[in-house]
Amino acid sequence: MENHLLEMKGADVFYGDAQAVWDVSLYVDEGTIVALLGANGAGKTTLLKTISGIIHPKKGEILFSKRSLAHLRPQEVVDIGISHVPEGRRLFSQLTVLDNLRLGAYPPRARSRFAQSLERAYSLFPVLEARTGQKAGSLSGGEQQMLAIARALMAHPDLLMLDEPSLGLSPIFVRTIFELIKTLNNQKVTILLVEQNIHQALKIAHQAYVLKTGKITMNGSGDELLANQEIQKAYIGERWRNT
Amino acid sequence: MLEYLTFGLVLQLLVNGILFGTMYGIAAIGLSLIYGTMRIIFLAHGAIIVFFAYICYWLFTLLHIDPYLSLILVIPASLLLGSGFYAGLFKEAAALEDKNISLLIAVGLMYLVEQLMLVVWKANPRSISTIYTAIVFRPLGINIPFTRLIALVMAVLSAFGVLFFLKKTLIGTAVRAASEDMESATLMGINPHWVNVVAFAIGIGLGGIAGVGLATVYSFDPGYGFIFAIKALIALAFGGMGNVFGALLGGILLGLLESLSSFFIGAGWADAITYGVFLLVLTFRPQGLFGGST
Repeated sequence: MENHLLEMKGADVFYGDAQAVWDVSLYVDEGTIVALLGANGAGKTTLLKTISGIIHPKKGEILFSKRSLAHLRPQEVVDIGISHVPEGRRLFSQLTVLDNLRLGAYPPRARSRFAQSLERAYSLFPVLEARTGQKAGSLSGGEQQMLAIARALMAHPDLLMLDEPSLGLSPIFVRTIFELIKTLNNQKVTILLVEQNIHQALKIAHQAYVLKTGKITMNGSGDELLANQEIQKAYIGERWRNT
Repeated sequence: MLEYLTFGLVLQLLVNGILFGTMYGIAAIGLSLIYGTMRIIFLAHGAIIVFFAYICYWLFTLLHIDPYLSLILVIPASLLLGSGFYAGLFKEAAALEDKNISLLIAVGLMYLVEQLMLVVWKANPRSISTIYTAIVFRPLGINIPFTRLIALVMAVLSAFGVLFFLKKTLIGTAVRAASEDMESATLMGINPHWVNVVAFAIGIGLGGIAGVGLATVYSFDPGYGFIFAIKALIALAFGGMGNVFGALLGGILLGLLESLSSFFIGAGWADAITYGVFLLVLTFRPQGLFGGST
């Protein structure tokens, strides 16, 4: 049997009475980038929330380094090495950049390494060092996304989950974010990426899953899905065909 | 009436307003902290403050402990009581989507405490009279009673203490973060129950300090708690929900409003005007009068 870093088996997830995810199985191998694709409302965000413990699956299993996540709460999940950058970034906008980063290192696993983590964050994102005393809410959209990722990295995650990191950013920042994801991956951070920028996501992903109304309809390597006619027609569209 | 209006009189009215207002302010800071993480108005706050005024009264009359000295007992007791309230009453309800449950628990707690105080201490007003109760300073011809001045100092010191805690400690920063976005805070590894306990403990701790201030300055009875809670709520609205320093300023503003309106318009009108301004602020400046937040 293979050793997956993260493995989800047959998960059913509900919001109240409404089922959002149906019998989903997926895995993420150590050191890879895995993309989770699909239209709005397909259940991508729900899956990330299920992994980080905000919602609990009604049925099925989630294993991280062979440890079951199904009953852990978010504050416990981050402490075993899964950081979640939620959709819309969810920074503490009234707090300074530095305070946001301090809270990123709140889990016990990260607290003693704070100085070293801060140094790494500032070397990855020099602009944040220049803004250290500024309120997070005063940053530009791109800077806020960098801060959200930097904050998640402060916890020293083995798995970094990014929910729509390029949403609402200018094309230059979108490119920066994708390059950053590759850089982080080269530094041994495993990435689970939810993206609507499907073409770019598939280009960097080792493995990808396509979700449709809460079910996985397709999976394969990034290149396989990139070449898939159905994907091209449904999600990528004409303008990307020849890039 | 206006021919009596001198500079000294106006100054006296302003000083009275500030001295009154800091008491509201310190109660409002407690409400602000609890509102921040729990998203409820802790209506029982006034009753708790009066309860600690009675504790201070008992310590003084039965055990002859000086009211200010009693702070070393009252502060730890109130911190403990605050944690106990959260663990015993609010912990389950805090996890619910519907915040009205927590609010109803606070209402029930308010009446329970009030009724228990009626049973134990009866309805007639009590006050503490020490050797320094009658001391009045008279700088520039203004009367400043010693006990009110000390109450002001206690309120200002507590406000700065709480601000220091929120800004400079990691757990204080976590409380501010949780006040802004609880779900995002849990993704940082922050335990929601822990920040709620801290907010409750410090909120009720401030209630203990306010109770001692109240006991040394005014006469009080069990029914006074509800009025005090409403006054603190008004101060909170003036300052902006969840803004700690604004809550103190809001309290001072409320004190000034009461002091000036009861002199210039009439004591009977003072409360009506206060509630009118409260509604105006909520309608047109729901974020509070002082902008920004802490």
